[in-house]
Amino acid sequence: MAANRTKTKKKSIKRYIPLYLMALPGLVYLFINNYLPLPGLVLAFKKFNAKKGIYGSPFVGFKNFKYLFATKDAFIITRNTILYNLVFIIVNTILAIFVAILLAEMTSKVKKAYQSFILLPYMISMVIVSYLVFGFLSTENGFFNNTILRALGKDPISWYMEKKYWPFILVFVSAWKGIGYNCVIYLASILGIDRSIYESASIDGASKWQQIFKITIPLLKPTIIMMTLLAVGRIFYSDFGLFYQVPQNQGALFSVTNTIDTYVYRGLLELGDMSMSSAAGLYQSIVGFILVLGSNLIVKKIDPEYALF
Amino acid sequence: MKKKIASLLLSVTTAAMILGGCGSAAETAVDTSSQTAETTTTTDAGASSDAAATSDKAAQAIADRKAEAEKSGEYEKVIISFFDWTGRPAGLDRINEALSEHTRETLGLDVELQIIDSAAYGDDMKLMLSSGEQVDIFSTCILGYNPSINNGYVLDLEEDGMFDDYCNGIKEKVRADYLDACRVGGVLYGTPPIKDYAIETCAVVVGQEYLDAIGYDTSKLSVGDLGYPKATWDDINDIFAQLHEKFPDKYVFAIQDNELTQGSSVDNIAGDYFGTLLDPQNSLKIEDVYSSDIFKEWVQRAYDWNQAGYLSQDALTDQTGASAKVKSGSYMAMMACCKPGYKTQISGECGRDMAVFDVGESFMSSSSVSSFPWCVNQNTEDPVATLQVLDALYTDSVIEGLMCWGQEGKEYKVNADGTITYADGVDANNSEYYPNVLWLMPNPYVTYVWEGDPLDLGVQMAAFNDNCTCKSKALGFTWDNTDYASEYTALKNAYDEYGPKVVYGFVEPEQGIAELEEALKAAGLDTYMQGKQEALDAWAKENGIQ
Repeated sequence: MAANRTKTKKKSIKRYIPLYLMALPGLVYLFINNYLPLPGLVLAFKKFNAKKGIYGSPFVGFKNFKYLFATKDAFIITRNTILYNLVFIIVNTILAIFVAILLAEMTSKVKKAYQSFILLPYMISMVIVSYLVFGFLSTENGFFNNTILRALGKDPISWYMEKKYWPFILVFVSAWKGIGYNCVIYLASILGIDRSIYESASIDGASKWQQIFKITIPLLKPTIIMMTLLAVGRIFYSDFGLFYQVPQNQGALFSVTNTIDTYVYRGLLELGDMSMSSAAGLYQSIVGFILVLGSNLIVKKIDPEYALF
Repeated sequence: MKKKIASLLLSVTTAAMILGGCGSAAETAVDTSSQTAETTTTTDAGASSDAAATSDKAAQAIADRKAEAEKSGEYEKVIISFFDWTGRPAGLDRINEALSEHTRETLGLDVELQIIDSAAYGDDMKLMLSSGEQVDIFSTCILGYNPSINNGYVLDLEEDGMFDDYCNGIKEKVRADYLDACRVGGVLYGTPPIKDYAIETCAVVVGQEYLDAIGYDTSKLSVGDLGYPKATWDDINDIFAQLHEKFPDKYVFAIQDNELTQGSSVDNIAGDYFGTLLDPQNSLKIEDVYSSDIFKEWVQRAYDWNQAGYLSQDALTDQTGASAKVKSGSYMAMMACCKPGYKTQISGECGRDMAVFDVGESFMSSSSVSSFPWCVNQNTEDPVATLQVLDALYTDSVIEGLMCWGQEGKEYKVNADGTITYADGVDANNSEYYPNVLWLMPNPYVTYVWEGDPLDLGVQMAAFNDNCTCKSKALGFTWDNTDYASEYTALKNAYDEYGPKVVYGFVEPEQGIAELEEALKAAGLDTYMQGKQEALDAWAKENGIQ
């Protein structure tokens, strides 16, 4: 029995050799880029000195982490990072599924064109996005102040000095930029659903709405859960370009745009301290790791079938 | 099955990780030991020939290297790193070849310049300095002098008396008090580039064409020491009002956040304004500049200008440099600081003839000399050779000429009056070597001056430094703020949040300053200032300054 099993195992290994070979370059890349530098994490607990090297530098315990938590800003940046990411996850997922269903229901030939247009913002660099936004919001020459508000007979607004608008602007920009990519993934899952299910449903008299809510969305659930889990794992990282470039690095907006990444960037850009940067990075990844494990555990509790691992 | 493979992969990676870790650790160990061995030999050699005169030592070192090269057929190489604005020049290999040809004769070694784009310089250098790649001499500009010392990148130049033995040229060219200004904790880690350490604060520059259009006659103003018309703020406001009336479609003033750095004699102790010397010539008391009258006056001025419509409403978001704004033609004036030869420089930057109004006074801040010295990598293979090259950078006109201007006949030609200009058919855009960072070079005054500048520019510059009326008492004081990193980051964030809108005149001064003060206090300004004061007091005591 046991011998038999090893035999089949050997067989299947042989059968999959080409696949493993195909995966090899990716694995090597992953290994070099993601695993080899891991010992360097020890830097987060040391005071780096080039003369002594990474391993020879003296240990300082958790001193490098203290800097992240020592000030009142710690609360603001943590709050901003987590809340924005939560909103992004919810809004972007709902919108992406909505658009994906619309696209899936579409039969005309322009469907491909729509798909490409929606994906386009995803390909644009954040620096360029920031100038597109500036084109709308510039105080003197912006589209809003110059065209819309003027037509409505309202006073111009100094967009880059008013905090209250920015949570909405950032969520809007993030959705506009991110939907295309997410929607392609959902669209692929929807197209993978067996059409015969829909056919039998419509024969049974199910309306379009019922088909969407009773068939499409339940069958999308694994994809949604996986995408959300991945997003949750990065909840402690913020999209640096979005929070740094789009508000044009404006100090007046810090309380609503400062996240862990931008805070660390601004602080360490001038200090140039390697140990503190690695401490910040380590802190972010550990919290992210715990969050992924945690949310996976919750999913497992609710329905083991949908858990990632 | 899957699990097996996964666990296999995991164990392989772990094993490799451990091996990788060990490998590099062992390597480092070997590196250090070989290095120590080398250092010891040099010390021995130094000790045995103690009686010999210093110059003999230098000559001996050169002769030894030449003999070595004769034997092996290869010269040892010293690499010098600095940056420029456009990345590696096309003709760099040719320049390096010419340099080495010269230094093989004079120093018995090859010299290679490594020029990196300014945007990448900081990161590239950190990587090279911490990974053990060969860099021997480097500029600490962008990298920062203090961070370089804190990270352990730099060599103590006076180790084993090397500086006395091999750097007498530098001692001749750089005044002892300027060298001392580069000492940190008593140790000399770098030598300053010879340049304008003093500044003439508050130079308001206005496009000559706009002045002509309003018919302003500068000759009614008296002329200052630098040869530019001396103006008061009333004069400037008068000019601005006329400009605004004549050119309502243009912005009068390209405002920048330089009101303290270039527009005042407040000494930004240790590179930031969180705790400053308000009266640096007479007092070593650290004070908060943002609650001072100096700041208030500036803020009020900016606010008035903004109210009068002289400034762009997008000033806060527009990151374009002021001179680029003036060059674009939509702005007419800006404020900076000036020095000998400034009119030529700023007219070039702004792409038009500019009139310079001298509104301030000359000032030399504590960090002016030590802001970006040239340093030697602690990992350098042959410290003696490297120091001799460093010395030559300050004294050898051939090396400095190649480094600053390239090759004669290829990049530049010599005019009849002794100045130089582009060689025939060459300009700033197609020149194969034109780094344009003269202020960074160790000693650009041992070689040619560019057309338009006086031949004795170096002498004028030295006189300007020597005659500076307001020299900070804290000249040479530097402060390592690593222990206050969290306060510093919080302060910087607080300033970025409340500072610029006050400085650019977008909020009513009284209210804006109060907000800024409150935020800075909450961010730990008092603790930070106290830290500075303690360090400054200790430094003053050590150096016998009252």
